[in-house]
Amino acid sequence: MAERLSPLEPVLRPGSRGQFENGVGVVLSEIAPGSIIQLAAWPGQEKAIIAAIKKVTGLALPDGAGGGVANGQKAAFGFAPAKFIVVDEAESISEALTKAVSPEVGTVTDLSHGRTAIRISGAKAAWVLAKFFAIDFSLVAFPVGAGRSTVHHDIFAQIQRSAPDQFDVYVFRSFARSFWHALCRASEEVGYEVR
Amino acid sequence: MLITCPYCGPRDVSEFTYQGDGNRERPAPASQNLDAWNEYVYDRLNPAGDHNEVWQHSGGCRSHLRVVRNTLTHEISSVVFARGHVPHRSPSRRGAKA
Amino acid sequence: MSPRRATSGGRIDRLRTIRFTFDGKAFTGHAGDTLASALLANGVTLFGRSFKYHRPRGVLTAGVDEPNALVTVLRGDVREPNVPSTAVEIYDGLVAESQNRFPSLKWDVSAVNQLAGKLISAGFYYKTFMGPAIGPFKGTRFWMLCEHFIRRAAGLGRAGRAADPSRYERMNAFCDVLVVGSGPAGLMAAAAAADKGARVIVAELDARLGGSANWSGETIDGMPAAEWAAGLAEGLKTHPNIRVLPRTTVWGFYDGNMLAALERVTDHKERPAKGEPRHRHWVIRTKKVVLATGAMERPLIFPGNDRPGVMLASAARRYANEFGVLAGSKVALFTNNDNAYHAAVALQKAGAGIAAIIDVRANISDAMRNLASDAGAQIHTGHAVVATEGRTAVTSIKVQRFEATNGGLSGEARTIQADCLLMSGGWSPAIHLASQAGAKARWDNELQAFLPPEPTQSWIGAGAFNGSFSTTEAIAEGHAAGLAAAGAKAAANDDLPVADAVAGDPAPAPVFEIRANGKSFVDFQHDVTSEDVRLAHREGFVSVEHLKRYTTLGMATDQGKTSNIPGLAIMAAALGKPIPEVGTTRFRPPFAPVSIGSLAAERYGDIRPERLTPMHDWHVKNGASFYAAGLWHRPMIYGHAGETIEQAYVREAKATRETAGIVDVSTLGKIAVQGPDAAEFLDRVYTNMFSTLAIGKARYGFMLREDGIAMDDGTTWRLGKNDFLMTTTTANAGKVMQHLEYFLDIIWPDLKVTLTSVTDQWAGAAIGGPKARDILASCVKGTPVDNAALPFMGIVHGKIADVPVMICRLSFSGEMAFEVYSGADYGTHVWQALIDAGKPFGLVPYGLEALGTMRIEKGHVTGAEIDGRTTARDLHLDWMLSSKKPFIGSAMMDRNGLTSSDRLQLVGLLSLDNRPFNGGAHVVEELDEQNPHGSIGHITAACYSPALGRYIALALVKGGKARHGSRAFVSDPLRKRFGPVQIVSHHFYDPEGSRMHG
Repeated sequence: MAERLSPLEPVLRPGSRGQFENGVGVVLSEIAPGSIIQLAAWPGQEKAIIAAIKKVTGLALPDGAGGGVANGQKAAFGFAPAKFIVVDEAESISEALTKAVSPEVGTVTDLSHGRTAIRISGAKAAWVLAKFFAIDFSLVAFPVGAGRSTVHHDIFAQIQRSAPDQFDVYVFRSFARSFWHALCRASEEVGYEVR
Repeated sequence: MLITCPYCGPRDVSEFTYQGDGNRERPAPASQNLDAWNEYVYDRLNPAGDHNEVWQHSGGCRSHLRVVRNTLTHEISSVVFARGHVPHRSPSRRGAKA
Repeated sequence: MSPRRATSGGRIDRLRTIRFTFDGKAFTGHAGDTLASALLANGVTLFGRSFKYHRPRGVLTAGVDEPNALVTVLRGDVREPNVPSTAVEIYDGLVAESQNRFPSLKWDVSAVNQLAGKLISAGFYYKTFMGPAIGPFKGTRFWMLCEHFIRRAAGLGRAGRAADPSRYERMNAFCDVLVVGSGPAGLMAAAAAADKGARVIVAELDARLGGSANWSGETIDGMPAAEWAAGLAEGLKTHPNIRVLPRTTVWGFYDGNMLAALERVTDHKERPAKGEPRHRHWVIRTKKVVLATGAMERPLIFPGNDRPGVMLASAARRYANEFGVLAGSKVALFTNNDNAYHAAVALQKAGAGIAAIIDVRANISDAMRNLASDAGAQIHTGHAVVATEGRTAVTSIKVQRFEATNGGLSGEARTIQADCLLMSGGWSPAIHLASQAGAKARWDNELQAFLPPEPTQSWIGAGAFNGSFSTTEAIAEGHAAGLAAAGAKAAANDDLPVADAVAGDPAPAPVFEIRANGKSFVDFQHDVTSEDVRLAHREGFVSVEHLKRYTTLGMATDQGKTSNIPGLAIMAAALGKPIPEVGTTRFRPPFAPVSIGSLAAERYGDIRPERLTPMHDWHVKNGASFYAAGLWHRPMIYGHAGETIEQAYVREAKATRETAGIVDVSTLGKIAVQGPDAAEFLDRVYTNMFSTLAIGKARYGFMLREDGIAMDDGTTWRLGKNDFLMTTTTANAGKVMQHLEYFLDIIWPDLKVTLTSVTDQWAGAAIGGPKARDILASCVKGTPVDNAALPFMGIVHGKIADVPVMICRLSFSGEMAFEVYSGADYGTHVWQALIDAGKPFGLVPYGLEALGTMRIEKGHVTGAEIDGRTTARDLHLDWMLSSKKPFIGSAMMDRNGLTSSDRLQLVGLLSLDNRPFNGGAHVVEELDEQNPHGSIGHITAACYSPALGRYIALALVKGGKARHGSRAFVSDPLRKRFGPVQIVSHHFYDPEGSRMHG
């Protein structure tokens, strides 16, 4: 099979930039997971979807709006009522999830190519993201594992906090390069490293 | 202005799209009552005070919300998911036309 | 030492010398100086010329309320005009210029306006330059002629033409408590709230925290107030719950406790650090706001109160205590309250001589008498200043006996020699933000000031903002406000710092103006005098809002910070009404000027959001020029060297019709419609049936709005029983998605349907032309693509270059065509494989121009025809309207107005004079180039048709179908294009569709 080509491929140049002489404030990278899958449950079927996610990925989603979990290889989070994103390094989980979710329970939609996953980590990650998104990035308001849906102008984003100082931002693929440029620009003042 | 989305929490109004007067009632799909259709498509309440409105959290979870907003103060007294909630329509709707 | 710099004192760093220029002349100051304090220290008194009369002006204040001493700051070629020099921190290499003077500040030719001053009163321009009722200069034409010259003479600084290279940023912040102001009240509030666990942001418009503590000269907890404040400020900066924002003006208080602030990040630096924005636009959402914005001193209104050397008493006190600068060496003070006595002491301590204190009050307290005697000042109670003298600086003042109760002057005028006159007209709390937040201020007759309204949003006031003018009160109120904002209560035994100061009476005498001969300025920046206010009254203006518009009082860049209340008081006196009955205008954002750049921020320039298709880089490498289609960048043409746009698209379209062409259609909106009720949902949404569509087939669909007007079209593919892929036009993708979501959420919540935008999931390439099938056959594995396996509107799954693809046979160009979809990350890979496979067949890539040409030839509609006014019938798509089911719009689409025969209907136009058409041109029955009229419709899209060999267009024409075969004219006066046309069917090319069905 051919290599998948990221929209960031020509612009993602590893190295430190901006004001990094005293250390970098953030590290920027592309996660490029194999699968980004959306699941939606019919009313009353959320528990069944959460069970299906557990069965296929082993991830136990907590209850509640925007609840999520991340373990390094896999992640899942709620981003809208009865809607979830499941992310996996493996490319093939779409089929397994489709099998596990019957039409009576909900739907499975493969977005693996449609969303680009950008990771921003470091002490200044929340500071840089706050330039774009009008949501509260404090740990109290946005705990580790949780997901948020928000927008920067026309760029829709789903954001999961995968560690205290680490956020995974899922944007529409067509906007990814534009958002990457803006993210690099916004990171200059704190110094950034691209990995 | 902030709207407290029942799913996402308080968010900036810029994340939302106004989707119109929440007092409107769509006639049955096959209805041929043009007056009823006309009222549904064109008539809008414009109260000074609490107003039943529909907003979509278009820059967030994309849910449609039923919002009661005071048009004089922008104070929002209630926000619920549109799905699964019978709208509390303003009783003065017909009267407002006269 | 500089002539006006005190030998010691102040918060400046005397060891660091800063070099800057003003009007081309080199000066030095110290780190911590403002431009105003540094220039004053150098003995400069003349800062600019006034707006209308070109009167010499000096510094009035020491802060953001400054109306006079505005300058233009230059950075390279970039000019920033109208900046108060009192708010500019000096840095090495700062270049500033004075304004509104020609040829120089000292010798200004327009100063003759002063002689004509009687003429240039309020409303002068409106009255004088209204032209006669008839003739060449009738009405406003005369005004327009004169305006050019007036604008040159009046006004302030001049904006530059150079592009601003600075970076601006937006920042979103959330907190529990926002403290606005960092004087004693603000500092106490922030510390108290943060200690209770609240997340706190403190915004201070100055560089230094501390507010009045920096210049009051008082003692707090046994140490100088400035040191006390510095210690507390240091604690805030290191507090884990607090973010301190110096140089940050909170300028807007919006609904839901959302506040806007401007942080001037690098204006005080020689050059910004890498990546640093010049300004940061903060949008702060906070649970509670503590307003500790202090108060602003008011001037007194008397003749000559605008002469350089006349300054607010508090400003002079600040220059002395905070900057170590003396406003004069022989100082007189003029006051209606106790405050000036503290200023006299401060100046005396800093080394100035105090000539006299002129107090309008007949009686003053012993405490004040003691202060005056400490300062060595002679007191003239029951007196007023009636004139100032001196050319570009005060040299002496004239005083007269004054009766405060009726404003009467008596006795001989006496002259007092002084090089500086300090005035104090009482204090106005800075209630701007509270007023913006939504309620009316209330007048306090005792304090002669508007006090903050009852909060309508979640804010708490503290200190001078509340009219509590003593530091001890500010400390206590700040502490209590901070606790309350954090949800805690003040305990009786809270051990609060104590300020040691001579207590004065905060209430001023109700005297705003001394009426004597000569110009008394109310609004210094707009040159509005007390006489102008009375003139407005005489001419019938009674509302304070009208007064403002007529005289322009309070409408300059300082927004009347020093002038609003005196202006109001004079108007009230003229009307014979108490001040609260005349009312005050509601303050509106911004509190102080805001750079437009900071509001545009990331929306401007090269980091504007844009959308690229998966094959974008291929298009760039292969010579495409691009269109911006919404946010998308789409190839327009793949031009060859020397080709015009028309030559390029004609070549591309021709090649497609003769051999094969390929176009990137990834931008089409794509919505996954999934679920057990997906088919039912589509039946309700589209005008035609989808529940009958077989799996593995596609169908053209058309949708209406509720009102029966056409909304969008596109093909929808059935990929599974419960799984549809809907395509929309590129432009309408977002609108259609929202439309569908609305119906699912609001109208049919019982339907089990999931809608997902999958536009970005798929890369789409449309390959069409006589050779298209051969090309596909040569590269597609795993499925045949012949007519049996892949009939018109059929879908197959296979692989191209090892990548899974989905191929649907449908046509927009009118040729035998296929849309090849693959995962977006494989888009370029598949596209390149198709290009390679097509090479032996003569495949060409084509852009939007050729796409548009071929669709016009076929008469397909797009957004230009589905324009929000047309119906399905207008577009001859009535065959799409199912009569077997209701659908969105079905009830309204048959209304009389939407079915009449003279509606604008889609037609084709042939150019009969072999010249091109333009979109938007009108179609007329009779040509009248001199007086174009009688439009029967307009052109929606036009091109040169290679298939027909002539210029053609689509148009919407009244009763168009009945006109087929008739003649008309195109009338396009804007582009001077007139000529004959033939109206024909919109199906120009292959109307039977034999080519695509082939």
